[in-house]
Amino acid sequence: MKVEGEYIFNGPRAEVWDLVRDPEVLATALPGTKSLNQISANQYEGEMNVRVGPVAGVFAGRVVVSDEVCPESYTLTVEGKGAPGFAKGTGRVHLIAQDDGTTLMKYEGEVQIGGKIASVGQRLLDTVSKSMIRQGLEALNKALEARVARSKGQEVECQPPSEAEFAAAVAKDMAGQLLSSSWVLWIALAVVVIIVAAIWLSRGGG
Amino acid sequence: MAQKYVGQRLTRTEDPRLLTGQAMFVDDVQIPGMLHAAFLRSEYTHARLKRIDVSAARNRPGVVAVYTAADMGDTWRPGPPLVSPPPTIKDIVFHSRTQVPLVKDKVRLAGEPLAVVIAESRYIAEDALDDIVVELDPLEAVVDLEKALEPDAPRVHDDLDSNLACHLIQKKGDYAAAREKADLVIKRRIVIDRGTAAAMENRGIVVYWDAKSQQLTVWDTTQAPIPIRNGLAGMFGLSPSQVRVIAPFVGGGFGPKIMMFYPEEMVLTWATLQLGRPIKWIEDRRENFYATNQERGQVHYAELALTRDGHILGLRDDFIHDTGAYDPYGLTVPINTQCHAMGPYRIPNYYSDLKVVFTNRPIVSPLRGAGRPQGVYVIERLLDIAAKELGMDPVEIRKRNLLPPDVFPYDNQIIDQAFVPLVYDSGNYLPILEKAAEMIGYEKFVKEEQPRLRAEGRHVGIGIVCFIETTGIGPYEGARVTVEPSGKISVATGVGTQGQGHFTSFAQIAADQLGVNPRDVNVVTGDTSQFHWGTGTFASRGAVVAGNAIHAAASTVRAKVLKLASKVLETPEEELELADGMVRVADIPEKCISLGELAVLANPLRGAVEPGTEPGLEATAYFGPKYGATASGAHAMILEVDPETMMVEIKRYILVEDCGTVINPLIVEGQLHGGVALGIANSYYEQLMYDENGQLLNASFADYLVPTASEVPRVEITHLETRSPLNPLGNKGVGEGGCIPVPCLFAQALEDALADYGIEILETPLSPNKLFDLLSGKRNK
Repeated sequence: MKVEGEYIFNGPRAEVWDLVRDPEVLATALPGTKSLNQISANQYEGEMNVRVGPVAGVFAGRVVVSDEVCPESYTLTVEGKGAPGFAKGTGRVHLIAQDDGTTLMKYEGEVQIGGKIASVGQRLLDTVSKSMIRQGLEALNKALEARVARSKGQEVECQPPSEAEFAAAVAKDMAGQLLSSSWVLWIALAVVVIIVAAIWLSRGGG
Repeated sequence: MAQKYVGQRLTRTEDPRLLTGQAMFVDDVQIPGMLHAAFLRSEYTHARLKRIDVSAARNRPGVVAVYTAADMGDTWRPGPPLVSPPPTIKDIVFHSRTQVPLVKDKVRLAGEPLAVVIAESRYIAEDALDDIVVELDPLEAVVDLEKALEPDAPRVHDDLDSNLACHLIQKKGDYAAAREKADLVIKRRIVIDRGTAAAMENRGIVVYWDAKSQQLTVWDTTQAPIPIRNGLAGMFGLSPSQVRVIAPFVGGGFGPKIMMFYPEEMVLTWATLQLGRPIKWIEDRRENFYATNQERGQVHYAELALTRDGHILGLRDDFIHDTGAYDPYGLTVPINTQCHAMGPYRIPNYYSDLKVVFTNRPIVSPLRGAGRPQGVYVIERLLDIAAKELGMDPVEIRKRNLLPPDVFPYDNQIIDQAFVPLVYDSGNYLPILEKAAEMIGYEKFVKEEQPRLRAEGRHVGIGIVCFIETTGIGPYEGARVTVEPSGKISVATGVGTQGQGHFTSFAQIAADQLGVNPRDVNVVTGDTSQFHWGTGTFASRGAVVAGNAIHAAASTVRAKVLKLASKVLETPEEELELADGMVRVADIPEKCISLGELAVLANPLRGAVEPGTEPGLEATAYFGPKYGATASGAHAMILEVDPETMMVEIKRYILVEDCGTVINPLIVEGQLHGGVALGIANSYYEQLMYDENGQLLNASFADYLVPTASEVPRVEITHLETRSPLNPLGNKGVGEGGCIPVPCLFAQALEDALADYGIEILETPLSPNKLFDLLSGKRNK
């Protein structure tokens, strides 16, 4: 599966760079995280609880950051697996400073997915993953805005989304694109949480 | 004169039990103390097994045992090859690589079992699977059939030089010379993809080693209980008499259940021998998509050489057949393809070059049709294209090439799946085609209706195709027929039953010999304790091979009945008749004796018996044909397609079938209806979608579309009967015929419906999406 897109962060590139390399921020941006540890300068390991409907289990994974050009770009290599299946992918992330003080993130990558997640969730993967990425990036952007505000001495409340809120938002995105039967939504919800894990891992090292 | 039951539309004797939930399936087996198994399966298609740690799973409460390949010690070994390649074909290359009970070092297909958990319940067993730590080192997968043969392709079996499993050329005449003389040569690449059987009942096994009685009992959804018994006995050092295999009611076989040995059969039998406790495993639907064999994947480069007036001079077919990760079933499927590509036509020159490849996909073994639909697809598509090129009617080009009735037995000069020459025993093909054309109103549709509908802007098309089906192959089956003291008849045969109506058809055969009502004939199939010689249910052979064995055994019992009755009634045998469960003197009906009374007399408690006399009214007989009986048929359809939505509606479906003597038209028609449904599935709905890494993307019935009642039309059937000279009943098989010609028929009708787009359909299954692409391509041009 190909993953690509862009996103604009409301903050300077250096701040974005710090943010995407901060495991704690990443862990709060994607709920359900059990742990996310930096095991070396460029490696992260983590575990995430996945439990929605019939799909349950721990997704465990490792992210390696390479070809790092601070603060412009880096390559992520992700491997994760658990009861729902496995994901393995490589992606390149570019951060481009914009004239207006914002940062444009461009990402592209290729993800291999196998197991239940591939065989049962296939036709929803594309839509769900796009939505998941958007949701995750928005949560990160909120964290960024809070950081920027704090650095200016302002106090801004930044509440990371809960697991349920996150899943519900993705399901809403999907409902806009797919049949809105309860059955599809149910599957969608299940897939959403699986994807959370995959996407989270792919951004975990960022 | 006694009533004849063969040929009658008898409702099925087994249906009341099935319809009221009284029939026993494997999952109905309950034994006190029974344990449950769950298998840990690889999610990777191709990977090296680095490490497997089952200690945590073993410690989970309720888990009785967890086994890996290492635990099996010396008993771990790949399964025995089920079918070897034909020994009579020269210069054949064949590499036998068979499936393993549990992965030891390398995973070759997604779904291959790595470990088994035996626990107090299936819930605990499934939970314990998550406790197992596995380290798999993924390898590049072999998925594409043609790329599998490229020199730098990763290898499924490290010890082979390539992924080539077999290379086999079969030829007749001199194709190259024929091609030289041809006015027209049609050459196309044709792709046929995989489907699964999607039987209503998944596989299931209950195994029980009772140490005190030293008996192993196995309930198995197999189509071949006797070979399973013999094989398990051999594998585990038991006497066959210590092993009883029961294939009770099975919710659909369709071929994949003839496979042996599935890893689960080997592993669970071994496990019950370790534990001395009964163990049950029932495959779930998702497992079925991975762990049960599949079929149909082939790529053909085929060419047909013809004269200007549409006579076939020769056929060449170079094709690649996907056998999956292992090839335990030998060459049955691709040889069937070779043997059906000539169809019912006179093809004087034939050259068929077969390459079988290993891929990282589930094992391929026969699935209803078993290679035949592919061969038929190739010849029928080429004929359609040739007809277009020559400006000829598709029915006419077929008529010109059909074998005439005076050529039989007709030797095709190649070897078939049963290792014997492919000889068509009998046939009369032209009336079949003419009947199908007449029933669908071919002339009228083409000349009047279609132009009228087209003028209205509707896309309606007609198709009509011919085919043959090789059926009823050897080696043999047997049966024992007994008159019981109650006067009822018991019939036992070794073949298993998966819904074919054996209990009724077999009863009809015995009833005719013994003058009883078929409802008084109790048929037992698939229990090795009842009958333990035979091979199994496959190749549309049950009614032919087991049917004629029953006929033979019942005839012998009839002779015994007459001999004894003649003595008792003091009347010559010629003056006796069997009817209504009685033996009567034909002229004096009140002078009679019941079969039950005779059975009692035949088994005396006191007194002397003449030497050479056998007790009871019982006989065992066997039947083995010289070669298979070849059935034939023609199918026709009218369909309408909406070129905006790509939705297809089959308006009419005509089926003319010649399977020789029809034992029970109702059952034959049921078989044909089911076959047509599968054929429609193989045409437009059911396709297993694998990504480039070999991951199956539609392993659920939400995404793998089995056609429903709304996609399967009413089927109008006519039977024509050309008896087979190879057996006393004169019958031929019909179990697979319904599905065989459907994809090529569908393609022909669809092309006709979309004539204004000028598309050519060269792959099956098609789908609305693929049709859209095909039409878009034409639009863009």
